[in-house]
This record gives sequence, structure tokens and C-alpha cells, in this order.
Amino acid sequence: MKEGSYANMWDTPPSYSLYETGEAGRMDYFLNQLINGICQGAIYALMAIGYSVVVGVVGMVTFTHGEVIMIGAFAAYYMFFLSGNQIILGLIVSFAASWVLGYFVYKVCYERFFNAPRHVSLLTTIGFSMLIKNLSQIIFGPNQKPMLDVVEANFFRIGAVQISELQIVIIITVIIMATLLSLIFNKTKFGIRLKAVSQDKTASYMVGINVKRVAMLGNCLGCGLGGIAGLLLAVYYQTIQATMGGPLGMKAFASSVLGGLTDVRFSALGGLCIGIIENLGITVTTASFRDMFAFGFLILVLIIRPQGFVSKKGAKV
Amino acid sequence: MKIDPSMLKPSAIANSNTIKSTKSFILKYQVYFLIGSLLILSILPLFTNRSYILGVFCRIFLYSILAGALNTINGYSGQFCLGIAGFFCVGAYSEAILSTAAKMNFWIILPIAGIITALVGLLVALPTLKMQGIYLAIVTLGFSEIARLLALNWTSLTGGPMGIKGIPVPEIFGFALKTSRHFYYLYLVLAVIFLFVTSRVIRSRIGRAWMSIREDQLASKSLGVFTSRYKAINFMYGAFWAGIAGAMYAPYVRFIDSTYFTLDEGWNILSMVIIGGQGTLIGPIVGSVIVNYLTELLRPIGQWRMVAYALLIIVMMWWRPQGLAGASNSIVAVKGETRMRHRKVSRKEAQA
Repeated sequence: MKEGSYANMWDTPPSYSLYETGEAGRMDYFLNQLINGICQGAIYALMAIGYSVVVGVVGMVTFTHGEVIMIGAFAAYYMFFLSGNQIILGLIVSFAASWVLGYFVYKVCYERFFNAPRHVSLLTTIGFSMLIKNLSQIIFGPNQKPMLDVVEANFFRIGAVQISELQIVIIITVIIMATLLSLIFNKTKFGIRLKAVSQDKTASYMVGINVKRVAMLGNCLGCGLGGIAGLLLAVYYQTIQATMGGPLGMKAFASSVLGGLTDVRFSALGGLCIGIIENLGITVTTASFRDMFAFGFLILVLIIRPQGFVSKKGAKV
Repeated sequence: MKIDPSMLKPSAIANSNTIKSTKSFILKYQVYFLIGSLLILSILPLFTNRSYILGVFCRIFLYSILAGALNTINGYSGQFCLGIAGFFCVGAYSEAILSTAAKMNFWIILPIAGIITALVGLLVALPTLKMQGIYLAIVTLGFSEIARLLALNWTSLTGGPMGIKGIPVPEIFGFALKTSRHFYYLYLVLAVIFLFVTSRVIRSRIGRAWMSIREDQLASKSLGVFTSRYKAINFMYGAFWAGIAGAMYAPYVRFIDSTYFTLDEGWNILSMVIIGGQGTLIGPIVGSVIVNYLTELLRPIGQWRMVAYALLIIVMMWWRPQGLAGASNSIVAVKGETRMRHRKVSRKEAQA
């Protein structure tokens, strides 16, 4: 299976249809694309939140996030296949599968390399992502699989704008996840440890935090969020493929650059921005240029403010 | 810190001495080794005319140039380029377009394609030169995908999914290079030129500046090295040779489309650099030989090929981050703390 074909997967925009042509139709198309962009941006935001948690807590940049997302999507696929449309069960299973993969990522790519030069762990994550991608191409097969319908495709119409039930479910799931994460970060002892480790490893080691364990758990948590994002993407696009991880990982990176790679809130904002830019962008060009807009956004942010839009506290990457 | 008693065993000493003496032997007679291997390589096609074997050798030479170009970026100046396939793509497409649409001579196109690719490389590197390596890594990765997508979708220029057919073969004084034997010699000559030029460049002021940036950017800056300029030169140099390699590749296959330049191709070249060795001239050649040999060996089980490369990359990073023949006396050879070793030392200290 050549890599070229995964672009086709994104070419078929889901769930919007039936536009009138002409000026008014064009405006409606634009508004609908905005809604689609917000929904897709919500999924990207969840990916980017996971990415920035990983990078913040571990302190090293990862290339495995796309594969983590892909594994989450496949876990959800098999869970739905077995259990029918139990969406809560699917969420739990994809979270758990990505958590387990995150544990392996930590063991292989980070644990030995905390004091090593930065490129060592980076190249190890590249190797690991190649490994996971090609193994899952062998195990799951290289072709696209159609995802099962878990949410009924009912449309709500407000004037000319239509929003599907699926999109509402996705946005609500993302909001719940983000709220849960912020509760964990601010109210629990574990979350405070996570924040401490991501701000300064040496200082948190000195006050008695088991830095490696917290880094491992934080990495797994971020990966688990990525897995849920994978489930949502699979449900939204109705297809999954073993090679889908590559561009997704890069989009997660591009989103979290907005917050200097480690700030959770700005990463979420970045993901939302990329989703909207992509969907508005393909109204002007063709859908095959979709992946370029994320990079355009990335390069724009790097030119304007490369260190991100937040003042940095500790946590250099 | 105590001396590790295992170091004092005679076997260990003999072992390290043999390695050292072998190394010094090779270094002493380096010129003879080079001339000898060149002679063998240049008379090899006289003994075999099987286009399969010569084709494998052509690939080895081509990827030696590509991996060497990547090594000048990743290994010598410590930057991160992951998008070497993008430069390869730009070089190949510039050759194909200029030779089919503008009907230019191959020998004029070759440097032009290199220069075009170098300018593209500068354009890619400009927004990220002042930041840490990771941004450059992502931007080059993105560039590689963008180059491929442009080649796939810009139908009026690149033929889109149909690719570019019928790329004319190069000619020397009216003598057309057609067979794989001819291309063998072309690639051999260009690979030797690449190695010679690169070995001169890395011993010059520029190359020393690159290596000082790799070892410690802040220190080299404080000693008056204009780091961002030298990094830009480095990036352009690597992109230039990747473009040359692309321009050599297009007339060899005579048909190109965007599927040759996927990210997998980039990972392929990267694994050559990592497995062979970073920061030495010989490293990428070793990597190219190993990876191309593995490709032929694993051809019956094609899908497992990339799995094997991935495992090799991880193994290399765990135990020998500089690669098989990498620069052992540099920062690319620094390993992380290994938990096992750490445990052993602490146990020994506890006993003492």
C-alpha cells in the first residue's frame, strides 16, 4: 500500500450535503464549513491537548502521537464490532489501548534517555512510530476499513445551517474530556505532581516526587486522550486506516506550537484554529490540499512568535 | 569513582588494543584502501552484465549520495532534517521538467537542479534557523509532504498522478547512456565527486564551523562563529546534493511520479544514516550498503522490511547512537543513562 492513498481518505467530507447553488448557496456552504471546521477542530484540540501533556510532562518531543491516535481508532473499531454501538465502552477501550501503547512508548523511547542529548530520544520515537505503523499495516491490513455507525445521522437545521447529531456528540465529548483533565490538573494531588514535573524536574525530584513514575503516568494520560481523539476521528470520517497516523501526529504538533508545545489551553486553541482553517481552506482550493493548511499555520506561528504565545515557566522543550 | 576491575582483565586490554591497531592500520593505509576499492568497483561491470546486480550497485551509489547529503545536515551540524525525500523530489522533478519541456542538456540541468533544490532548502530553513532543532525537524517533515502533494496535484506542471514519462537519457559527446552499465559508471563517478567535495568541505573552515555548532552551539557562537549563517549554508549544501541525486535518478528510471517520494522514502534514507553512522564520511556508505542489501534480502517478505529498519533504528539508539561507523568522539555518540549500568555501578559502590 503506497502512502499516497491516505489522502483520499480525507477527500470525502462527511455529513454535509444538499447545497443550493448560487450566491446564497455559497454563503450557506461557507457557514456549514465553519461548523464542520469547529467540530474537526475540537477533535484536533483533543489530540493537541494529549500531545502537550506528553511533551510537557516528559520534556521530550514525540513522533509517536499519530500512531497512538491510530491505535485508539482501531481499538474502538474492534470494540464496536464486538459490542454493537456502545459508545461509552468504545471510549474506555480506546483510552485503555492508547494508555498501554503509551506505556511501551515510555519504556522504549524515554526512560533511558532523560539525560541523553535530545536527538537520541527523538530518533527513537521516529523508529518506534515506524515500527507501530508497519506492524499495524501487517496486522490490520493496509486498506481502508469502513467504520460502523454508532451515532444516528440526524440533522438539526437552524435556517440554512445544518448540524448533525454526531457533531454535537463529538463536541460534547471533547468538552467533557477537557473539563475532566482540568479537574485532574487542578484538584487532585496527582495533577499537581504532573504540573510540578512539567515545570521543573529537578525541583520536583527534590521535594520528593517520583519523577520517572509521574512522567510515565503523564505520558500514558496524554496518549489515552490521543486514543479518544482517534475514536472520534474514526467515527467522524467513517473510515480508518493503518497509515492515518502520520499527518495526524504532525497536526497535533502544529497545534501545540501555538502554546510553545507545553501549554494545554493554547494547544486546544491551536487545534481549533487548524480545524477551522482547513475546512475554510478547502472551500477555496481542492480537498487534496487539506494537509497543507496545518503546515501553513505552523510556519506562520513559527515566523510570528516561535516560542509560543504564553510566557514560559520552566518546561523547555 | 573506582576503576572497573573488568577493564584490567588481559582479554579486555587485548580486545581494545586489536580494535585500536586495526583502526590505526586502516587509517595509515587509507589511501591504498580507497584506491583499491575504487579499482575493484570500476572493473566490476566488466565481469558481470546482469542488470540486477548492477542495478543494486546503482542504488547503493545513489543512496550513498542521498544519505551522505542527509549526514552533512544531521551528522555534521547537528540539525534535524527529516524531509530529505522532499529535496530528492524537487531535484528529480526539476530534471524531468527541464529535460522534457525545455529540452535542455542533462549536464546543464544537473547543477541547475542542485541549485534550485538548494534555494528551496534555504526557503524551508529560513523561518526555523534561530530555533532548536525540533522545529526544523517538523518543518522539513511537513515540507516533504507538501512537495509530494504539490507533485501529485499540480497537474499542469508535474503531470499529476500520471507522472512524467519519457525522460531523455543523458548523452556524452553524442554517446547515449542507456544500459545499467553506463549508469553504473555515471553514479560511481558522481558518488566519488560527492565524497571528494564533501571531504574537502568538512576539513575547511566551513566544516569546522559545522562541527563546532554540533558540539555546542552557544560556545561556538561565543567564539565568533556566525551560527545561523553556517547552519543555512549547511542546509543548502545538503539540499544541493539531494537535488543532484534526484536529477540523476529521473533519467535512470525514465518515469517519475509522486509515489517515489513518500515519507517512507525519507525514513529509508534516515535509517541508512542512523544505522551506518553519523558524523563520518564512511558512515552513510556503510548504511547504504547495509540497507540496500537488506532490501534485496527481505524482498520476499516485503512488508517486514520497514519493521526491520525500525527495529534497527531503535537498537542503534539504545546501544550505539552514533551508528556502526559514526563519529565516536562527538556528541552524536553520547548515550543516555542506562538503567542497568546505573544499577550495576551503585551495587558495586554499595559493596565497596
